[in-house]
This record gives sequence, structure tokens and C-alpha cells, in this order.
Amino acid sequence: MNPLVAVVLIGVVMVVSVYLVAVIDTAVETRVSGGRGYARAWLAPISRAARLALQRRTVTERPDAEAWVLGPALLGGLAAVALTSIPFAPGVDVADIPAGIVLFGAALLQVMVAVVLHGWGANSVFPLLGAFRMAAVGLSMGIPFSLVLITTAIPAESLSVGAIIASQEGVWNVLRQPIGLPVYLITALGFSFWGPLQLPDGADLAGGTSAEISGTALLVWRIARASILVSLAAMGAAAFLGGYLGPWLPGWLWMIVKTMGLAALMIWSGHRIARARMESVVLLGWTVLLPVALVDVFVSGALTL
Amino acid sequence: MGVREALAGLARWSPVPVFPIVGGGARDLVRDLRLRPEVELVATPRHATLLLVAGRFPSGAIPGLAVVHDQIPVPRATVRWNGEVSDEISSARLVGGDEEDLIATLVALHREMMADPSRSGPPILPDVDAVEWRGVGPYGHGGKGMTGGTPYGRPLAERAGDRDGIELDQLPVTIGPWVGALPWGLELAVKLQGDLVQEVEVGPRLSTDPPTDVFSMATRKPMTVAVLELERARHHLRWLADALSIQGLSALGLRALRLGKILTPHHQREVRRLLAMVRRSGIFGLALNRAGGEVTGSQAKGLGPVARAGGVDDDARRDEPAYRELGFQTILHQKGDAAARWRQRMAEVTQSLDLSDRAGDRTAFGAGLVEGPRGRITANGPSPSVVVLDLLPQLLSGLEWGDAVSLVWSLDIDPTESVETHVDNRGAS
Amino acid sequence: MALLGSALAVFLAAVLAVGMTRWVGDVLNPLALTVSEKVPFSGGSPPDFHAWNRFHIRWYTMALLFLAFDMEMVFMYPWAVVFVREGLISPVEMLMFILILLVGIVYAWRERGFEWA
Repeated sequence: MNPLVAVVLIGVVMVVSVYLVAVIDTAVETRVSGGRGYARAWLAPISRAARLALQRRTVTERPDAEAWVLGPALLGGLAAVALTSIPFAPGVDVADIPAGIVLFGAALLQVMVAVVLHGWGANSVFPLLGAFRMAAVGLSMGIPFSLVLITTAIPAESLSVGAIIASQEGVWNVLRQPIGLPVYLITALGFSFWGPLQLPDGADLAGGTSAEISGTALLVWRIARASILVSLAAMGAAAFLGGYLGPWLPGWLWMIVKTMGLAALMIWSGHRIARARMESVVLLGWTVLLPVALVDVFVSGALTL
Repeated sequence: MGVREALAGLARWSPVPVFPIVGGGARDLVRDLRLRPEVELVATPRHATLLLVAGRFPSGAIPGLAVVHDQIPVPRATVRWNGEVSDEISSARLVGGDEEDLIATLVALHREMMADPSRSGPPILPDVDAVEWRGVGPYGHGGKGMTGGTPYGRPLAERAGDRDGIELDQLPVTIGPWVGALPWGLELAVKLQGDLVQEVEVGPRLSTDPPTDVFSMATRKPMTVAVLELERARHHLRWLADALSIQGLSALGLRALRLGKILTPHHQREVRRLLAMVRRSGIFGLALNRAGGEVTGSQAKGLGPVARAGGVDDDARRDEPAYRELGFQTILHQKGDAAARWRQRMAEVTQSLDLSDRAGDRTAFGAGLVEGPRGRITANGPSPSVVVLDLLPQLLSGLEWGDAVSLVWSLDIDPTESVETHVDNRGAS
Repeated sequence: MALLGSALAVFLAAVLAVGMTRWVGDVLNPLALTVSEKVPFSGGSPPDFHAWNRFHIRWYTMALLFLAFDMEMVFMYPWAVVFVREGLISPVEMLMFILILLVGIVYAWRERGFEWA
């Protein structure tokens, strides 16, 4: 795809989906809290963004300025580049390269680096603790995350996301590899540090890596984090729910419905499932998710033969 | 219309981000602000526009006020609710009256700040470094060697032995008294090694004058059981609201807070539904498993739910005729850890509602000793929060920071209230 | 390569957009902070020390284990592509490899390498 068209396409996808994520988040929060007034969910993201745009950015007295700029920029860039590997409709993709899930997996594992840089930059105690938490979460979730994605490549005999979607004509991977999607979603929460795995930016760290930022820096950080969630949801839809495949509706609409459905599920978990302890996360990743993901690889693989 | 005006027009409708500094007698009022869609209480001053100072402080001095005020990004403003403007915050807007008046002021002030940032409150502290450091040392970085300097007057972390017997960096840092992660007013001087809490000292207490809730009234005259038990259930729901939002479940916390505000004995079904949602959140399996912090045996005496969670059958209600007539039996848990305390209070909410429902016009207490929601309130003993604060250093050392925070919240501490009953009853007796 | 070029363009554009947003914010609200406004936040007390320190990570054995498994992932990408074509031999070979690595996990687990010991 023409680079200029690609930039516009991904830009539009990110802006719209991040806005929807913010709307869904407010709506779910209102519902769980037993409150009223869903109408404000539509306006709140815009008015908040405007407020942050008018707020002065913060610098601490001795920051690692380069790391502090690079963190959010990298996070936003990684969310965008992760989206490029996914076809949104038949033939509508930026870079459905033969090694698509390698590109996606590589981008997502770098999220860890972006968050660590962001937390390190401020030279302040809460962000610093948040940074090291992200390292532990990322390292614990990385292997099961990649394993369940690789498993979807086995029936497709290709690492291209387009080929993986095409291989689900008839039966989706969520049925063929039933272990895959749950493991994927849990690890996806880790990489988007969302909900039960919102450890780097948790409430027990008064905001963690974002505890020292304000104004546009906070705005872009929140947008980048929501974009990561969207990228993960879109890949979940493509790899496990057949992407744009589906009856009656046009392909792109299926893709939107599935992506936002998975995003909504992850957002819902954020309001209904408690934040896990660090130790629980590391133990979960290595002694539960990793063995389960290996079972997924070998059992699903053997069934393909 | 310029960019700034357009953005200001949109920002008018944003929820007002407020960083609260809460002293004695204002906790419930400020907590209830969470229920208002116009306002959003934030955990760090960097995310706030307005600083809200509410409640009473010992001898009028508000610790950390100037530091936190200056950490709020421009445009910022301060609101002082039901109190005086001290010299420190001469620019603060004074508000009295009820919640509606406060909300109106907060919203108006926020819109003013968005429209005209030049009216933002100036920094309180002087624009000078804490310690002279510029140009000192061979690199001008404030001291000796490459890493031995004190830029901005601050050295690098110390070294100290850790529990594995290795010498490693140890970071002493004072956390609180105003941080979203800890109860308002709790200050902990912590030594961190990595993310592990090595040593803790509890900072100065912020207690002011005596409380006026139904439990302290019950030390002087008998109160109706129905009122006491309903208030106990409300107290535990307010605790649940705070503790849930720290565990990442702020929406569920809002549900608890909302329910606590309208609670009557007929809300048993809603309460059960809420508690079921809390249990289903996986909090006991994910967040409070092996979090430690056992308080049992003689340590726990007089600590109410904390004692009963540790298997200590300690409840002043047992000796009251009114409660005996109602067939009151203490609920006990055994382990005495953070999870047991959660379970204990959750069970006691239902129990208190049931008692309140059946109590009729029976009265209880009135002779100095009362079973309060945090434990035993006696004529001249220390209040439960004082006892718990003294336990904190021993309980927290060795825990990961997140576990330490969970533990602090599981103990239901109110640092502003801590010695109040103590002072009050000594005066009375 | 053209596809990767587009992906790279998207990456750079997103990075630039983040930078631009910050810059717009700095134009609207110039960064002129006084000393006290720059003090790191920890709840009302100015810090006595810089926060950066030689951070003791309690899970370092887990990080080593990650290295081993991450290398294995590199082999698994091409392996997944040829899985069906090669037939039964491919899962058997990979399983042997993985089982050896799994011993490492069991050992680390037994040594409490996943805990904040």
C-alpha cells in the first residue's frame, strides 16, 4: 500500500478505535458502579482530551529526558506498526508480509521497553517501581503470548496474518484451538497493562509510570496505551475469530465488530476483575499459561496433521 | 476563535480532576465526591487541576501542602472547604456549606482556569534549589566522583545489607501523607530495596478533635442498636469502597459507596449482590493470596474485625443484653491475614444489616465501652487506629510494595482519627 | 520490501504524531517550571535521594529463563510453517527440545525463582 494512504488509514483506524475504547470504558464503568448517565460517555473522552491539551506538561528536576520522550513515542509507534500487519478486509492491509505475526510479536514485545523507558525517565519513585513491574509482567507473558500466536500459523502453513485468516474459512481458530484465545487475552492484558494486569500504572503506585506526567504527555500516553489494546484486540480477532470472515455483513464490518468485541471484553475485565499481585502474575505466566500454551501448540498441531 | 478558546470550550465539560488533602472530619464528605460525575478524585497532583483542602488539621498546620500544591501543573487553583485560609495558600478559594456548594465552586473554578490560565495559583515555595550544588565538584554536578554528587541537593541511594546477606542499594523515601495509594493522612518513611519494603516508620499523626459519630456518642449514652448496626454496615461499605479502588476495582467501589449512602435494613439483596461481585472479582485468589500480614493473638485484642479475622473472639457486643436477646454471635475467621480481614468485614456487613433489621427499639452501650466498627472504643484506652499504626512497621517489613499497600488498606486505618477517642474520653472521665 | 516500507512509514508517522502533540501542548503552555514545581511526587515530602538506584529485581532467575525460551521462539516461527508439510517428525523433534527447557522451569519453580524470595 502507498505509504501516504497507509498512514492515513492507520491514523483513522487508531483515532476512531481509541475514541470507542474510551467510550466503552466509561460506559462499562457507569454500569458496574450502578450509576446513571451513559450520555456523558460520548462527550467525556473529548472534553478530557481538551482539558489535558490545556494543561502544562511536567518535567521533574533531573529526568532522563530522552527516555521520557521516547517511551510514549515508542508505545504509539509500536501500536501503529502492529496494526499494519493485520488485514482489515480482503485486500485492505498496509503490510500483510509473509512474516506478519513475527512483525506483530516483535512490536508487542517492545511495549515492555517503551513502558520501562517511560517509568525510568521521571527519576521518581512510583514511576520507577512501575517500570520494573512492566519488565516482570512482560517477561512472564511474552512466551505464552507468542506460543498461542504461532499455533494459529500451523493450520495456515504461513506466518502471514492474511493467510491465517484465510485458513479459518469454514472453522475459526477459536473452535479449532480453544485454549488459544483465553491465553491470548490474558497475555494481551499484560502487554496493554490493562485491567487485572494494570500493574505498571496501578492505583497502588498512584498512577505508576504515569504518576509524574501531565498535560499532553499524559494525553498521548493514554492514547498510546489504548492503541496497544486495540492492536491486540484486532490481532485476536484476526488470529482466532476469523478476522473479516463472516456471513451477511461486509468483511470490514465483521472486523470492526470482532475487534471492538474483544476490546470490550478486556475493558470489562478491568472493571470486574481485581488487579493481581506481582508474584501471582509471574507464577501464572510461567507455571500455568506457558504449559497450557505448549499443550495448545502440540495438541492443536497434532490435530491439524 | 483560536485553538485555545476552542479547547477551553470543550474542556469546560470535562470532569474536574481534584487532588484531595483531607484532615479530620472530612473523609466521608470528600469520599462521597467520587459519586459525582462532575468531579474526579485523582491519585497524584500531576493529574489534577484543583487542590481541595478539607477538614481540620492539628494546630492548623497542613503538612506537605506547599509541596503538593506546586506539583499540580498550571493552570491550577486551590479550594479550602469549611476551614480557614492559611498564609501558605493565600490564593485559595474559601467555600463553606454542603456538597452542592462545593461542587458548584469546583466546576466554576475549573472553567475559570481553562478559560484564563493566567489566573492560575502561583507556586508557594521559592524558586531556589534545596541545597547549593551547581558548579561544585570536578564535573559541576555537586560533589565528588562521577556518581558521588548531590545534584538538586539530593544524593544517590544508600547501600545496606538485604535479607540474603548481600550489600545492595537501599532507597529511603517518605511516602505520603497525601497520596492516592495510602489512606489520607498516612505518612510512611520507607526504605525500599528494589520493590521490597525493608523498613517502615510511621510519620506524625494528624489527629485533631474528637469525633462525633454514633459510636463515640454511645460511650456516653445508650444508643439504639438499629442505628448502631446500620452505621456499622455503612462504615464497612465505605471501607470496601476505598479498598476496592486500590485493588483496581474503582467502579465496584463506587457501587459499594453508592449503596452505603442509601443503605437501609431492606437493602440486604443489593448488599449480597455486591459482595458476590466482590468475591467473583477474584480478589481473594489474585490480589490477597499470600499477601501476609497476620495479626493474631494478644496483638489483635480490641481491634474489632481485625481481631475477629484472626480468630480472637473479641466483641463488646457479646456482653450487651440487647445483643444477647437478638441471638448475636460473633463471626470469626482464623488466619488473621489481609484476606481474612476482607472476608470478616464482608460477613459483618450482612450480619449488621440483619441485626439492624431485627433490633426494634432496643438500646445498648452507654457505659464507656463500645464496639466500634474498627474495634473497641474505651473510656481511656487508645483508639483502634493508634494500636494498628503501631503494628504497621513490623507487619510491612519484607513485603513487596503492592502487597504492603493491600495490607495497609485491609487494616482500615484512619490516621486523622487515631488518638481522638483517647483524648476525648480522658477529658470526660 | 515495499510493504515493510509502508509499515515503517506508519511507525514513523505515529512517533511523529506523539512528538507533535507534545510540542503543541508546549506551545499552548510554555514549559517554564520553577524548582519547586519540578520536585518528584511522593505524597507531600520532597525526596532526600534520587529515585534511580541499582534496583534489586527479585525475579532475575525468571529473566534468565525468558532468554532461553525466547531463543526457542525464534526456531518455532519457521517450524510452525513447515509443521504440516513435515508431518509427525516435526512435533516430536520440537517436543524433545521443549522438554529439556521445561526441566529448567521446574527447577526454577522448585528453587522459588518465580517468587519474591
